[in-house]
Amino acid sequence: MGGLANLGISVPTLVAQIINFVILFGLLYLVAYKPIMRMLDERSRKIRESMERTEFIKQQAERAEKEAAKRIEAASQEGQEVIARAMRTGEEVGREAQQQAKQEAEALIARARAEIQRERDKAIDELRKEFAEITIMAAGKVIDRSLDKKAHRQIIDKVLEESTTLKKG
Amino acid sequence: MPKRGFLGCSFPVIVGISLVFFVLFALGFAAGPLGRSIFGDLGLPSWLTVPQPDPKLPAEVVLHPFGFPITNSIVGAWLTIVFLVGFSYAVTRRMKLIPTRLQSAFEYGLGWLYDLCQSVAGEKNGRRFFPVVTTIFLFVALNAWLSLLPGFGSITVGTAEGEMPLLRGANTDINMPLALALMSFVFVEYFGLRSRGFRYLGKFINIGQFSQSLGQLFRGRLRAGLSGLITGVIDIFVGFLEALSELVRIVSFTFRLFGNMTAGEILLLIAMFLIPWIFALPFYGLELLVGFVQALIFGGLTLVFLTVAVAPHGAEAA
Repeated sequence: MGGLANLGISVPTLVAQIINFVILFGLLYLVAYKPIMRMLDERSRKIRESMERTEFIKQQAERAEKEAAKRIEAASQEGQEVIARAMRTGEEVGREAQQQAKQEAEALIARARAEIQRERDKAIDELRKEFAEITIMAAGKVIDRSLDKKAHRQIIDKVLEESTTLKKG
Repeated sequence: MPKRGFLGCSFPVIVGISLVFFVLFALGFAAGPLGRSIFGDLGLPSWLTVPQPDPKLPAEVVLHPFGFPITNSIVGAWLTIVFLVGFSYAVTRRMKLIPTRLQSAFEYGLGWLYDLCQSVAGEKNGRRFFPVVTTIFLFVALNAWLSLLPGFGSITVGTAEGEMPLLRGANTDINMPLALALMSFVFVEYFGLRSRGFRYLGKFINIGQFSQSLGQLFRGRLRAGLSGLITGVIDIFVGFLEALSELVRIVSFTFRLFGNMTAGEILLLIAMFLIPWIFALPFYGLELLVGFVQALIFGGLTLVFLTVAVAPHGAEAA
């Protein structure tokens, strides 16, 4: 062992250094490797998770965009429909108003005509009555005889009835 | 950023610095033994020179608590351990998912070693080997670098044999490299046995072919038995060589590290002795690199041996 002693190999020092190494290994395992590995693992997990989440969010955004486009399209269609319906309704109302106005006007005209007719009839009636009396009076003067008023009247009415000019409408 | 100048300094500054360096170098050269042997004694003050180094291979015993001899290399190892553990604790005490600068740097360094382990040994085994390899790497590198710090070898303590440096790079004492090599050996055998069981031992004691051929011989199949017997003997011999190589690894591990570290230490001492002062600067840079490289070699080889030990026999032969 002389040669080895010259190199400096000594069992107590060797044992001490082995113990030192084991202590260092244990301590570093506790304060360095375990936390660092845990941290690295956790970070890679976080990154993977957030990438997955990003992908998910992207998909969701795409879906939402599509949905919004669809909704806008539907809304615009609906709006178009509403406008068309309103226009149709407006036209209908206008037409109805026109028709009503026309009917009213026609009714008015009809009433006016009936009034005129009635007036005319009345006038003719009165004219006839007067004429008859005048005629009777004239005839009485001519023949100087009082005619039986009643009988004459019948005659005159008959004449008038036959006459066309003063016929009742 | 000024484009002119050199190394980020303006020309007058760089010239001044060069001048100071040159004067220091010339003064050291003239005062040191090399210059003195050329120019003779110029009467320069003696504090300019560095005492002649007297490197000893065995580490000096500096403390004797309870009769247990503590060498200065053990103290050096303790310093390294305290430094490493303290630094790691300071960094990992409050780990955050979004790291601070220090934590980021620490994680980067360990992550580099982690990736190295995984690229050599594979995903699962790399994770198992990482603590072993990293501990060896960190210890060797930190120990080498710490012993380059100014004052590391200057603190002396009085002992029975006179003044001795209190600290000494642990790897310049052969016991530490030997301890590391033994630990590396133990881990290799442990992982080999653990992952492959008794088949791992079959690599060293390979008597399957031999006993089979012996059986053939007894059953009277002479030709087949004899040729098989020869192959069996070769197998046994190969197994013996395998076992021997495991042991030789310990020796080569030990002396590679011990030799490099000791040589580096002596190189620095000699450089400082021959031409005191700044002449040793480039060698300091060299030793920084050597410490890193030796750490990488020790850790890397351990990693490779571990990987080979857990690999199935067939894959290894292929």
